[in-house]
Amino acid sequence: MTDPVRILGFVNHIAPAPDIEEEIAQAFEWGVDVIVAQGTGSDWGPYWLGSGRQPAANQAANVEPYVRAALEHGVPFIFSFGIAGSDRHLDTCLAAFDELCRRNGWTPTLGVVRSEVDAQILHQALNDGTEIRPASSYAPLTSLTHEDIDTTDRIVALIGPEPVMDLLDQGVDGVITGRALDIGLFMALPMLRGIPSAIAAHAGKMLECGGLALEPGDSGRSIWASLDEDGFEIRSLTPAARASVRSLVSHTFYERSHPTWEENPGGALDLSQATYSETELGIRCEGAQWHQAPYTLLMEGARRRGYRSVTLLGVREPELLAQARAWTDAAEDAVRQAPRFAEAVASGRLTLGTRIFGLDAVLGELEPNTAVTGHEAGVLIDVVADSQALADEAAYYAFIRMFIGPYPGRKTTAGNAAAPLMPIAIPAGEVFEFSMYHLLPLEDPLAVGIRTIETFPRDTSGHSLAVDATIEEGQSR
Amino acid sequence: MRLYDCADIIRSKNAGPFTLTIDLFFGDDARYDLARRSALLTPAGVARAYGVSEDRVVGVFWDDRIRAAKVSLARWSTCNDALCPDLFGAHLHTPLASSDLDADPQNGDTA
Repeated sequence: MTDPVRILGFVNHIAPAPDIEEEIAQAFEWGVDVIVAQGTGSDWGPYWLGSGRQPAANQAANVEPYVRAALEHGVPFIFSFGIAGSDRHLDTCLAAFDELCRRNGWTPTLGVVRSEVDAQILHQALNDGTEIRPASSYAPLTSLTHEDIDTTDRIVALIGPEPVMDLLDQGVDGVITGRALDIGLFMALPMLRGIPSAIAAHAGKMLECGGLALEPGDSGRSIWASLDEDGFEIRSLTPAARASVRSLVSHTFYERSHPTWEENPGGALDLSQATYSETELGIRCEGAQWHQAPYTLLMEGARRRGYRSVTLLGVREPELLAQARAWTDAAEDAVRQAPRFAEAVASGRLTLGTRIFGLDAVLGELEPNTAVTGHEAGVLIDVVADSQALADEAAYYAFIRMFIGPYPGRKTTAGNAAAPLMPIAIPAGEVFEFSMYHLLPLEDPLAVGIRTIETFPRDTSGHSLAVDATIEEGQSR
Repeated sequence: MRLYDCADIIRSKNAGPFTLTIDLFFGDDARYDLARRSALLTPAGVARAYGVSEDRVVGVFWDDRIRAAKVSLARWSTCNDALCPDLFGAHLHTPLASSDLDADPQNGDTA
């Protein structure tokens, strides 16, 4: 008989609710064996990964009340950090975490898992004859080539539970990772304690978005579960929300293309036979199945596509609104046909489009309406080119054509539209695309994810203790 | 009846970078049954609503316990397109939502 494993879960890139201390206190009243929170994701697309930047989410501040509770009660915490979760993103968050520890006088010993993937590992895999396939048949990608690897700016892998389990097993106060599979973070301690993968993964799926699985959903709130060999019970930690069959089942739908089937490293989670029933304080979940499969890690890689420049015009003149699309199309054509841009357009170095807010900005070609029906509209000129200067020049050119270009029935000969922004063409910086969204087959789940054990706050010499020789080799690159 | 008027909650979001999923929640059994039996909420009906081929529809799934449906389809414009208008896919429900549930996917009649 395995002892229950009790998890306090939340999302660490969302600021906690003001009364979060009360939720944490309630959790410890029921018992907590580990505190887990995800803080990575690719919902935003490839921009954060490619640019090395991250939203100003202040993840270290968000975890502060949870870390305080974990250290006071002597239970480990597991966080993924940095949104895109490359080494650069993780380091930014770890530096903030150093500062958090310093300010509070904390000195935890933590496992750190770096999820950035060394391009050499992938070249080697291809040389060994491994086929690295796209993770989705709907991705506009083919099996990975050496050229794909060479042209990708930054690569991460969504590490599974195994590197976290390895570090937890060594008795650390907590584990912080870069990009990671959200449910893998939640699966780590239960699997280490002998809870079946199916139960651990199902619970992870319910907990990974914190209070979003409750009713009403709010990922600024936390959530609690107790796992055993046969299933788990989920509870809300606040009277402001409750777990219900409806809230939990609908959460299994969230951001998944299939409601009951999810492929993960080493197996697929199958919820087609899952059951949900009310208990005194929450909902009991059972019946998940795990179908073993070869171990693969999802990799995300970003490649710089170019640079963006945008400009905005406001239109309120009825005569122009009536022919808005023809007017913007004429300006786009003027750019494409200008001798200075013709070669760049023909070779694909320059792309532009206009979005008319008030007509077709959201659905584009799928939009069934063909004319503006409101009293005003906004026109966003969006340009991507292989240099910022070219993007800015083409955006300005398009703006001027729209501002002064004649149109049938024009009375507004001093200027056709309102200009709300200076400088007219706003340089928006780098544009990225996912050049990798592929599954890397691995014989050893620990082969990716460089693991170290470090005492925080770290000193300036950056001393860290490598866990094994493989790791040292990985670090020396 | 339009899907928009039949469903209580219409949740559009990316499911990974290259697929879109729309979760639909219905308030009572009568409206759930109406949706469940509709011509619109089938792979052919969804393809018709978005003007895409049926092989771009990943599936239409049902859960009777919570009176919910899930419609998943390949994104027609993704974050890999430089000019993608909706990165989160949070606002791509309207072609489906504004369609009539009884629309016959064979002839596209939405009267």
